[in-house]
Amino acid sequence: MGRKVKQMDQEKKKKGFPIMQVIPIVGILISVVFIYLGFAKYGFWDTFKGPRPGFFPIIISCLMLVASLVALATSYKEENIEWPKENWILPLSVLGIFVATFVIGLLPSIAIFVLLWLKKFEKCTWKTTLTVFVIIMAVVVGVFVLWLGIPFPKGMILDAINN
Amino acid sequence: MENLMHLFEGFNYLFTLQNIGVTMIGAVLGLLVGAMPGIGSLAGVALLLPLTFKFNPTTAIIMLGSLYYANMYGGAFSAILIGIPGDGPAVMTMMDGYPMATQKNRPGQALLTSNISSFIGGTIGMIILTFMGPSLANAGLRFGPAEMTALLLLAMTSIGWLVGENPTKGLVLTMFGILLASMGMDTLSGTPRYDFGNIYLLGGIPFVPFVIGMVGFSQVIRLMGDRHKETQIAVKKLSIKESMITFHDLKRLLPPAIRSGFLGTFVGVLPGAGATTAAFMGYAVQKSFKSEEPLGTGAIEGIAACEAANNAAAAGAFAPLLALGIPGSGTGAVLLGGLMMWGLNPGPLLFTNSPEFAWSLIASLFLANIITLIIAWGIIPFLIKILSVPTRLMIPAITVVCIVGSYSTSNSMFGIVVMFIAGVLGYVLGNAGYSTAPAILSFVLAPLLESNMRKAFIISQGSLDFFYTKPIALAFMIILVLVILFPLIRLVLTKAGVMKKK
Amino acid sequence: MKKKISFIVTVLLFVAFVPLFAQGAPEAASEGFVPSKDIEWIVTSSPGGGSDIYTRTISDIMTRKNLVNGQTFLINNKTDGGGEVGRLQVSRTKEGKTANHTLLTFNSGDHGPMIKNTANRIENFTPIAVMAVDKQLLYIGEHSKYSSFKEVLDAVNSGTNIVIAGSKGDDISTYELLVKELGVTQNQIAFITNDSTSDAITSVLGGHVDIVMSKPAAADQYVAAKLLTPILALAETRFTGNLASAPTLSEVGNYKNVENPIWRGVVGPKSMSEEAAAYWSKAFQAVSESSEWEAEYITKYKLISEFRNKDAAKTYMENFQKTYLASLGK
Repeated sequence: MGRKVKQMDQEKKKKGFPIMQVIPIVGILISVVFIYLGFAKYGFWDTFKGPRPGFFPIIISCLMLVASLVALATSYKEENIEWPKENWILPLSVLGIFVATFVIGLLPSIAIFVLLWLKKFEKCTWKTTLTVFVIIMAVVVGVFVLWLGIPFPKGMILDAINN
Repeated sequence: MENLMHLFEGFNYLFTLQNIGVTMIGAVLGLLVGAMPGIGSLAGVALLLPLTFKFNPTTAIIMLGSLYYANMYGGAFSAILIGIPGDGPAVMTMMDGYPMATQKNRPGQALLTSNISSFIGGTIGMIILTFMGPSLANAGLRFGPAEMTALLLLAMTSIGWLVGENPTKGLVLTMFGILLASMGMDTLSGTPRYDFGNIYLLGGIPFVPFVIGMVGFSQVIRLMGDRHKETQIAVKKLSIKESMITFHDLKRLLPPAIRSGFLGTFVGVLPGAGATTAAFMGYAVQKSFKSEEPLGTGAIEGIAACEAANNAAAAGAFAPLLALGIPGSGTGAVLLGGLMMWGLNPGPLLFTNSPEFAWSLIASLFLANIITLIIAWGIIPFLIKILSVPTRLMIPAITVVCIVGSYSTSNSMFGIVVMFIAGVLGYVLGNAGYSTAPAILSFVLAPLLESNMRKAFIISQGSLDFFYTKPIALAFMIILVLVILFPLIRLVLTKAGVMKKK
Repeated sequence: MKKKISFIVTVLLFVAFVPLFAQGAPEAASEGFVPSKDIEWIVTSSPGGGSDIYTRTISDIMTRKNLVNGQTFLINNKTDGGGEVGRLQVSRTKEGKTANHTLLTFNSGDHGPMIKNTANRIENFTPIAVMAVDKQLLYIGEHSKYSSFKEVLDAVNSGTNIVIAGSKGDDISTYELLVKELGVTQNQIAFITNDSTSDAITSVLGGHVDIVMSKPAAADQYVAAKLLTPILALAETRFTGNLASAPTLSEVGNYKNVENPIWRGVVGPKSMSEEAAAYWSKAFQAVSESSEWEAEYITKYKLISEFRNKDAAKTYMENFQKTYLASLGK
């Protein structure tokens, strides 16, 4: 399912993408998968114990299938939506942070993200950038690291140093 | 009345300088932690628990109580100010809180409404707890799987009200939320479900990152479009006076708050239902009453209904916890563990064996309620200042908090993955006219419904008779049928000229 | 020029942050292992729960009794994937200092689901110790139709179906053993799995189910308040104290006793060195023999203190695995 969504992400960047049709279609696909697995693997009803693991999901998926079909039918009447390309830079940056975490750790990745975002993307002054940077890092480190003691991933490099 | 006497004794123990100081610290910390998205009351209480170790048992318990309570207050802050609910219960608060703060330009009033409603709800809850605690707990016991199924079916129909203009789209997302919730370990059969062979999905989709993503991160992506606006709202003056609510506002918030106070307390007593369920049901009930402004656009009634309910539920949850030793929720379990660590054994013998502990705890909740209200009130001006930060600076800040918060719920990158996907999904769906609130609520309620229903069937050996042989379940089923049929009945009656056309 | 400066500053800031996250003392001379850096102790369930309390109690006692060379315990609650992710991660830890400073709380309630639902096996870990065991009993509530297990059996034999409420994990396998020994089907005596024992107890207290399976600790206060009465001891011998009235299965009828001890232990990654494992085993032994352990954990939570060092623990866990796999038909 995660794969399908990521694929959807990439496709959306094309202009005029028919998202209004895609969403119900994805809904249909999901319902079908759940229904199939429900019957094949998890079972519907047991004479003694009543509903089996597949019971509830199957019923819900059927409802979702019906609703998705209706949504698909009505979606042709709807306008298509604008997708400002700019907005996608944010999720992409988060992906970048995610990947960078494995190398240098989560907190450094976040630090770099904040600095780069404010300075390069928003083109703020150094004063603004550093002020905001310090506040954010102070809150994150102060609350999450020092006080709550959450163990953040340190990345390959630091793990190698430590070992 | 005996309980009142005990309560006064409890206050006696309470009023030492140390205990009061500790209550205040607990309130502040609880507020802070509650406001952080990602650290809900469960994690918040668990993580703050070690702080209480230094003190003697009575003091420690008092601090714990006020931590827990203030957590409930805090969740609303981030929901109202930046549109990211701090935890489950705050999702509902956000629905009216955020529009009221940004679109209607009344952030101070929104925060104050939330605080006052929390206070009212909490107080009602605790008064009920004081006088009826054990009997309330016993009443809660009567709600077994069959009764809970009937009640939850009724609750599920009210999701329909939240769906908004497009029922089809709402239905798709409601079902989607339920399917997402069914992924993971199926407790009743002991086997994993819909995990697609992925080890992370074995445990299902974690709720908090899901909410942060779907509601919070998607919101931030959306905010990218507003980047070039100078500030989110134009803030005139930052003083307590400016954020005072009018008398008319007060009149508006009282009925929902009081209603939700009673409703929330009772929901809190029920097994498995916690503050989130209570907040939702308070909101749903409010839908059927008159609100001056439509719910979802920033109505005071909306904020009042859910905030009162969630604090009342927190108080209500103490009834089965203290009287029977039954934690109604994950947070309750942590509290239980904490209480046991100091040799306080909640349960049937608590009030007989250690009355001074029990009543000090209850008294401390009253005190914490008041202190938290005062503190929360006082910091409103500072909180509003957050709103005056330019959007483009807020975006990286909120993004960081979303990421860190999602990680912290389970100390794993998986939380961030969930948040990311949910965020992108929420953004796309929102823009396409699909409202995401039903998905979140069904995600919470559906597992409860399913597990209770299956248990009921196991007990009844696969027969449907539990719907009509058990009185409480029967009552709810009758209400359910009436609710479903009501629009139909109204249609018939209108056509027959008996009822006026709406 | 500005671009260069901003780049340098960025790198400097980054470097400035690195020490915040690096940690560790220089490696001690490897004559026998002694902890020389922070110890990461992974718990695959949420804070406040039974395993969490177990972990924190032991780490606390070890710190107080100075068994870890002044190093700090970092307790990491990794609940992803029902705990499987945390277990998998520990099993895959590469050899080295980190592996020698990684511990994992490991119970029968972890081991069972792990081998049932994943390919992970005990061979991927270094068993270090078993600290305590726990056994279950069956209880009835005030509203129950039956007042002894004999009556329950009679009812089953005359066609009534019984439901036992219990918690997920260990209780299920105990139930299956019981049903097998009694020679009845899982429909004649059905089992409702709850997320926790307290949920199960709630359903009995409310009269929705007749019997609950629970370990002594969770049911204790209800027994004291006479809201629950023990009717069957799932052990080789009767329990003591207020549980002494419950007969074992062999006393009720012509059956063998049924017991399914739930053990609480600790393991390390497979790549943990021999010396480190021996060190940890001794440290846990010291905890087990301490009065603090007895007072703060065993007595309080009513378990049975039973220590097994790393070799005995290894045998024990391997046996458990073999038996369980066989019962699953794997």
